[in-house]
Amino acid sequence: MSESGPVKIGKGSPEDPVFVGVGELPSGRYPQRSFIGDLTLVALRALKDAQMAPRDVDTIILIPNLHSFNDQADLIFSRLVEELGLNGHAKASFMVHSGGSTSDNAVRVASGLIASGHARTVLVLQCERWGSANLAEMVTMLSKNGIPGEWELPTGLQFNAIGALITRRYMHASRSSPSDMAAMCVALRQWAQLNPNAMYKGKSLTVEQVLASRMIADPLHAMECPMLADGAAAFVMTSAQNAAKRGIRATVRIAGSGGCVSHYSIGQEADLAVLGWPTAAKRAYEQSAWGPKDADFAEIYDSYAAVTAIAVEGLGLAEGGEGARWFAKNSTPGGKFPCNTNGGLLSAGHTGVGGGMALLIEGVRQLLWRAESERQINGCERCIVGGTGGSYMDAQVLLLERVASGVSA
Amino acid sequence: MSTAIVAAFREGLERGELLIQKCAECRKLNMYPRYACPFCQSENLHWQRSTGRGRLHSFTVLRMGAPEGFEADLPYALGVIKLEEGVQLLARLLPDAAGDWGSYVCDQAVELAAPPTTQPQYRPCAWFRRSNVSR
Repeated sequence: MSESGPVKIGKGSPEDPVFVGVGELPSGRYPQRSFIGDLTLVALRALKDAQMAPRDVDTIILIPNLHSFNDQADLIFSRLVEELGLNGHAKASFMVHSGGSTSDNAVRVASGLIASGHARTVLVLQCERWGSANLAEMVTMLSKNGIPGEWELPTGLQFNAIGALITRRYMHASRSSPSDMAAMCVALRQWAQLNPNAMYKGKSLTVEQVLASRMIADPLHAMECPMLADGAAAFVMTSAQNAAKRGIRATVRIAGSGGCVSHYSIGQEADLAVLGWPTAAKRAYEQSAWGPKDADFAEIYDSYAAVTAIAVEGLGLAEGGEGARWFAKNSTPGGKFPCNTNGGLLSAGHTGVGGGMALLIEGVRQLLWRAESERQINGCERCIVGGTGGSYMDAQVLLLERVASGVSA
Repeated sequence: MSTAIVAAFREGLERGELLIQKCAECRKLNMYPRYACPFCQSENLHWQRSTGRGRLHSFTVLRMGAPEGFEADLPYALGVIKLEEGVQLLARLLPDAAGDWGSYVCDQAVELAAPPTTQPQYRPCAWFRRSNVSR
């Protein structure tokens, strides 16, 4: 089964779904902020960025949180419709969920609705309260979900062990050293210094510090594991025609997407050093007629450095086996190929399902040329967004491109 | 149905046997056990005893942050085992002679082993150790 067929709604089509605005609140530990409060504020930020008001939205797509089932129920049962004053106006409010890759799938859903005329303007929003939640409860939750209860739960598997199994195999297959892996974390920390929303802004990191930190799950040291954070992000999509009608000059369209769900159980992944990335990349490139050389930068899920190293190889950005070394060399601020310009999950903060969301909206923000000047990639036009969820069960690729003045690009 | 499959697999482990599900129609092996054959969709599924021999695809030693109920097991090692029958699973690894897992490396030969008697409680999962025969 291939999704390599041509996109029926192409560049320049009035129905072409485009991003018109993004919003974000700082990631970190913010016990004084509230879940619904953050969602409301981040929605308004994204709408303001899109030069819109809540009543311009007819469909709300909710990204799940992982800190509370009660908060989840609030979202599912349309609380945001009421908070934003859209009672009787909103056509639909519903949740999409595939763990860390949710934001990528939400983009596909929103795009399909817009292109087919089932929605005019879609607001996608997310908030996570991991940083302020009870850590022991979150660890327990993460150790019970997304792991087959009959077959793998009895082994004592948990999330850092999953990251470690992937990291070990990647390091073995690529002959990457502990220093190579640590250097990726340092590169991400350098980006975080330029992002006011990053959890680790103002906190430097060296390879030596990473390697001296406590061993958590061999070969992962403490400073190679993501820190759970509070955070919120949102984006707005509409049709190219509607954007033009509203006088919006800069938008971002989806040139293509590709995905590959490679496994559910970590014990069933055929090659932990490859995952679904080569297949997902091939599908996305075929759909868009892009190749890796056509992109200016990338924003790729990085809950562990090896996950991103594997992805940049599968995407064809780095030679096979060179992902970690390539990233540390080329993807820092000022490097040849910027990656994870917000600092990634490892240095901006792991906001659960929001980690992929933060990377996605950073890609859109860069393409709209609205990042803070010290980290804006000058003149960037094309971005590869990569996401993955659960036990790195899937690889999701979105190819995003800037469109300069509405419909007529 | 769920109980029957899980119970049969776990009873095998208690006898020291690692069972692999085998489809009676297409003869293919399924790991983990399924409710219908993922290759031909038959529900006529049987069991085959694994030789217990395989290779270590990857492994880790969890040293902190155990899931609830596993705190007393720390540190412990987990590995993805590729069995010689062509299917794979996640299992626990026995510590080596030094009491740690420093001698384990990816792709080395491993074999099914009895759970260590030192474990605080029985876990219904497979255990593997380095094979004595180097291959």
